[in-house]
Amino acid sequence: MAPSAKPIGSPLPEAWYPTLALLLLTVGFLVTATFFIYEATSSRQSRSLPKELATGAVASIFLGFGSLFLLLATGVYV
Amino acid sequence: MGASRLRFFALIFILLPFLFLFGISYASSELVINKAERRIDLTSSIVRVYTTLKVENTGPSSASEVLLAFSPAETEHLSVIKASFVEGKRKKKTFSPLPVNPTKLPSAPKGTQLFSLSLSKPLNNGESITLEVLTIFTHSLQPFPVEISQSESQFVHYRDSAVLLSPYEIKEQITYIKTPSNKIESYTRVDPTNVVGTELKYGRFNDRPAFSFLPIMVHFENNHPFAVVEELIRRIEVSHWGSVQVKEHYRLVHAGARHKGVFSRVDYQARPAFSGVSSLKHLLARLPPHVHSVYYRDEIGNISSSHLRGDSQKSELEIQPRYPLFGGWKAHFIIGYSLPLQDFLFETEEGKRYLNFSFGCPFVETVVDKLTIKIVLPEGSKVPTAEVPFLVEQDQETSFSYLDVIGRPVVVLKAKNIVPEHNVPFQVHYKFNRIFMLAEPLMLVSAVFLFFVACIAYLNIDLSIARPSSLQSSKE
Repeated sequence: MAPSAKPIGSPLPEAWYPTLALLLLTVGFLVTATFFIYEATSSRQSRSLPKELATGAVASIFLGFGSLFLLLATGVYV
Repeated sequence: MGASRLRFFALIFILLPFLFLFGISYASSELVINKAERRIDLTSSIVRVYTTLKVENTGPSSASEVLLAFSPAETEHLSVIKASFVEGKRKKKTFSPLPVNPTKLPSAPKGTQLFSLSLSKPLNNGESITLEVLTIFTHSLQPFPVEISQSESQFVHYRDSAVLLSPYEIKEQITYIKTPSNKIESYTRVDPTNVVGTELKYGRFNDRPAFSFLPIMVHFENNHPFAVVEELIRRIEVSHWGSVQVKEHYRLVHAGARHKGVFSRVDYQARPAFSGVSSLKHLLARLPPHVHSVYYRDEIGNISSSHLRGDSQKSELEIQPRYPLFGGWKAHFIIGYSLPLQDFLFETEEGKRYLNFSFGCPFVETVVDKLTIKIVLPEGSKVPTAEVPFLVEQDQETSFSYLDVIGRPVVVLKAKNIVPEHNVPFQVHYKFNRIFMLAEPLMLVSAVFLFFVACIAYLNIDLSIARPSSLQSSKE
C-alpha cells in the first residue's frame, strides 16, 4: 500500500511476556503477603487505613499487570 | 442444470437466423475481432479460459470499451474475469489490467450476460489492440457416470461452444481444450476438429457473425479430486498486544462423481494406483510466513495427520482429512493459527491503522461456495472500513471476547464462488487511540483492588452480635 505506512508491533517484545508475568506476579504476591501479615499482626485500633489502601493498591497494580502478561504469555490475546 | 443448458441451446438454434441479422446490424457498429484464440484448461476441477483477442475498430467513431459475452450457463458459474491490455511483442510484453463491469445490450440474445472492459485510451478508426482475458468457472465439469465405485476412474463432461460467444464479428478464431490425460472418451466433431495427445483443437473458423454459438461437449477422464468447501468461515482476530489469530471453519465436500458400493480400506491402502484414484487424500494450505500455534481439529478433537513446513518466505500446511474423501463425502474441520502482528498491521501517515490480509481460501485448487470473513478488531477501534479489490457484501457486528466491556467491532465480508485467484490482499482501515490498550490491564488492576478493599472492609467492620468484651467489662 502506501510507502509511508509503517508496521505496528506489540508495545513490548513478545518474548518478554512469560518473564514479565513471573516477575510481576511474584512481586504482587509478596506485597499481598505483607498486606495480610500487616492485617493479621496489627489490632483494629492500631491499623492505619491509608497504609492498608496503599499496600493494596501496589499489590493490585502488580497482580493486575502480572495476570495480563500471564494471559498473553499463555496465548490468550486480549 | 442440464435441462437449462439444453433449453439454452434450443433457444440459440431457434434464434440463430435472427442472430445473424443482429450480428450484421451490430457489426456495423464499429468493432471487429480480427483474431481470437481461446485456451481452455480443464486439468483441474476449476475451468480456466485464457482468451487472446485482437480487436480492430472499423467504425468512424472511437470506441472506449470492449464487450465480452457469456451464455446463461456460463454466467451462473463465472467466478473471475481478469482482462489486461497487451503492449509490445514477445518478451517485451507489458500487461496493464483493465476494469471489468457488467453491462447490458438491447441487441444481445436473451439471457446473455455482457461485461464491458473500459479501455485506458479510446480506440480510433483503423486502430487495433490486443487484449488478454482470463475467465474462471467453477462447477462446470459434470461427472459422468454420476456414480463410480472405488476402483473406477472419474470421467466428466464439459460443455461449451466451439466458437467464441461475442457481440462482435470474429474473422478468425481457434479454440484449444487441454485435458488432464489423453483418455478422451468422446467429443463433438465440428469441422475442423483435431486431437493431439491431451489437446483438442477446434478451428480455425473464419468470419463468424456476432453471437454465434456452436455447442460442443467433451467427455474425458479427470481424476483430480473436486475439493469444494461448501462454507468457509474465517475469523481473524487482531490484538494490539502482538498477535493476529485466525480460526477457519471448513465444510469440505468432494464434488466429483459420487461413490457407489462399499469402501474397502484394504484395497485402498494396498493398491493406491488403482483404488480410489479420484479420492481426496490430502490438501495443501499456503499460509503466511512466521505462522505459529497451528491446530487442526474437528468436533471430536485433534486430528494428528498434518504436517507443517515453513521458511522465511512461506509456510505450508499439509492436512489429511480423518478419512479419505470419496465423491459426495463430507468433512467438517477447524484450522487455526497465530501470526505476528507487525507483518499485517500498519499505520498510515495520518495516524490511521490498517490490517493487510489475504482474501480467499489458503488451500490450493479449492473452490469455496460461500465465504465469510470476520475481522475482529480490538476494543476501542473506530470507523472500520474494508477495502476489497472486488465486489463483496459488507456488514458490521459486535463480538465479545476476553475482558471486553463495550465489545469489539467486527467487519463481516461475504462472497460467493471463490477460487485461488481471489487470494489477493485486502485492507481494513480503522482508527485507534493507543490509550485504549491500557483498558484491559486497568480492568484487571481494579478487580484485584476491589478484592483488597473488600478485605480491608471485612477486617475493619465488626460483624459480631455479642457486645465487645472490653465494653462489657467496663460496665461491670
